[in-house]
Amino acid sequence: MVLARAGWDVTIFEKGANYFTDLTADRPGTVFSNDELKMDRSFSRPDASSEPRVYRPSPQAPPITGAVQDLPQTVGGGTVHWDAKTPRFWDIDFKKLSMLGPIRGANIADWPFDYAEISPYYDQIEELIGVAGDVHLFPAEPTLAHAPRTRALPMPAGPPQYSSRLVAEGCSRVGLHPFIAPMAINSHDYQGRPACDNCGFCSGYGCPILARVGALAPLREALRAGAELRDRSMVVKIETNGRKATGLSWLDDQNNRHTETGDIVVLAANSIETVRLALLSGLPDPHDVAGRQLMFHWFSEGSGIFLDERLHNYRGRDHTHDIDDFADPDFPGARKAAKTAGLPYFRGGKVELGGTQHPLDEARSYQEVLRLLAPEKPFGADFKKLMRASILRDRLCGCELIGEDLPYATNRVDLDPTVRDWRGIPVARITYGPGPSEIAAQAFYLPWLVKLLKAAGADVAIAIPEIASSRFPIAQDQVPATEHVMGGMAMGTDARTSATDWQGRHHHLDNLFVADGSVFPSSGAHNPTLTIMATALRQATGWAGIS
Amino acid sequence: MTVVPRRRVLKTVGLAGLAAILPAELLAACSSIAMPSHGTSPDTSFLVFDAHQAKVLEEATARLIPGPEDDPSEAGHPGAREANVTRYIDTMLGALRLSSPKIFAGGPFSARTGSHVDDMATFLQLTPAQANAWTQRLATLRSQYIRGVKALDEMAGGDFTKVTADERDAILAQDPGGFMTLLFGHAIEGMYAVPEYGGNTGLVGWSDIHFPGDRQPRGFTDAQVSFSDGPDVYVPNGIGQQLLKLLASSP
Repeated sequence: MVLARAGWDVTIFEKGANYFTDLTADRPGTVFSNDELKMDRSFSRPDASSEPRVYRPSPQAPPITGAVQDLPQTVGGGTVHWDAKTPRFWDIDFKKLSMLGPIRGANIADWPFDYAEISPYYDQIEELIGVAGDVHLFPAEPTLAHAPRTRALPMPAGPPQYSSRLVAEGCSRVGLHPFIAPMAINSHDYQGRPACDNCGFCSGYGCPILARVGALAPLREALRAGAELRDRSMVVKIETNGRKATGLSWLDDQNNRHTETGDIVVLAANSIETVRLALLSGLPDPHDVAGRQLMFHWFSEGSGIFLDERLHNYRGRDHTHDIDDFADPDFPGARKAAKTAGLPYFRGGKVELGGTQHPLDEARSYQEVLRLLAPEKPFGADFKKLMRASILRDRLCGCELIGEDLPYATNRVDLDPTVRDWRGIPVARITYGPGPSEIAAQAFYLPWLVKLLKAAGADVAIAIPEIASSRFPIAQDQVPATEHVMGGMAMGTDARTSATDWQGRHHHLDNLFVADGSVFPSSGAHNPTLTIMATALRQATGWAGIS
Repeated sequence: MTVVPRRRVLKTVGLAGLAAILPAELLAACSSIAMPSHGTSPDTSFLVFDAHQAKVLEEATARLIPGPEDDPSEAGHPGAREANVTRYIDTMLGALRLSSPKIFAGGPFSARTGSHVDDMATFLQLTPAQANAWTQRLATLRSQYIRGVKALDEMAGGDFTKVTADERDAILAQDPGGFMTLLFGHAIEGMYAVPEYGGNTGLVGWSDIHFPGDRQPRGFTDAQVSFSDGPDVYVPNGIGQQLLKLLASSP
């Protein structure tokens, strides 16, 4: 958007399909719909049968081939599937080394800019994608203390979700600070797009009416300013000459090879595919940093069962309330627990209050449960009784902790030596395991999820760990699927420990830039997309020479 | 349980109804499909199954997700048979033989909640990456189904449809080659997915669980989102109590 508006001749390559018609129109058409099976069938994600990835919890562990952090691969990217929660990162995220200090084994670093510097870009993105929320209702501590606001959001909050309200009340009862989360979902008509009509197929689905627009907003502006979009076009190599990127090679979906030249090249394919392309292209990497410090948030799930009523979580915005308390390294007891674990500090993360699953997922849950409970006949009338009682859907209210993940050099993306995609191109291999900080923080905060759900009146409350580790055998062998993917091409000033500079410029290629979550030096403890967009906007403003 | 007459009626009506709505391309595709038969004439009402295979699958899925005629405790509660789960599975396995493969239903709306047009009835073309994946996947699944039906028949001494309901349950519970697990997963989809994929006929899957299904473009009112619908107390039943006990005992 920034480059196209500044008069650059911009071409955008997207490997996936375009499920929209005329993105420059006020109200583009789309084929996204309220269809659980369609999304289950990887409609907008890479289908692992054609485009697998490889995961291993450690270099010694046997590799697993399949779907790994398979974020949408389609025009609109990750903001097609998101439910558009748009918190800001905190001051301590940008200056983590200075404000919180080092942690042994992790590459704790400052970002090349601070909260005050990125704040105006947050404002611009919130305006552009249409964030709804009431900042005067955000808690002074810890939320506004760490991410101060200077102005109102462009829209008021939409209707609160009933189940979110219940859990928020529970949080208040145990001294936590719930609030309606900012989210980029229209609460009224906004820039030609309609208000959300509460259809309930939100998280995990493309919005059928574009009440939730996400990254399509700047894309639409770019196209209106003359940029060209080529979907179903996979870039397979960045061409270089000395310190210059000269252009790229790409394949159409019939596997015909084409080339394109350019004055600058920008990679924005998310941590995994951006790194894969950098490695496929053999970009200079003298210090072996590309792909390292890969970070996933860990999602620990609480589930509360309410037996006296149905919570009708199939309506509305997935969930509407958050708490930020567990993202605070000074949350009561956290410093002490960290010290016991041999750490100077740790953080959990924000908790999303509310949400449940749809019937296909619910039914599959019972299919699994019945193997345990009724192995002699794990089907039949028992299955249907469970579906009607709906203990794991209509009577369930979830809460999800989005935990901070530290940058470790050993967590990385590289190319798998043997597995190829359907075109015959090496796929990304992800080597990832949690460190002592993640394991200790999860152990500390898991009981809190049960506590706040009980306080909300849940008849039964459980918390399920997400991180695979020997401490949590229930999660062993689980392929990470949290879909918050960061790091791999970290920004920094030292080319020995980072891949890009403050503008996302590659340390060894003067006109190659990276503008996605891979440039994050730390993962924060909140949903990353708003920060990805604000960082990219700040970077692009610099490239266009109009800062 | 003796439900043969009822089944026969359903089956006849079902097949006649299906033939009436089959598009020409689908009928053309049917004639060119070569699948092993059990000595009976091929049943052209299905895309990939012969009549016997379809019957075995209908009876097997009716044990997995029983309806009123399959289990006395399910009186008033339609199951896989009523939802047409077998047709759903057949449609999926034969999806690529249609000019618009029935893999991804269109959008944004069905005609159920406020739209005059059922966009979901128009299926979407696949990208080459998707077509590659589904070609492999469906070839594997088709052979799993052929083997699976054969295994059920063999374990029933020749014909799965000829043994008692209890015997069918016992055979399925052994999960031969993982086929029961596979079939159950697909039966779930045929029961609760949008009906455009061939199952959930008459929305019986959704109505049995009080799920409204797709809601665009009507949506819900803000009040429906934000406030309780009032008490709806869970009525304890054996398996529900076991599940709650299991959850309560989680670490």
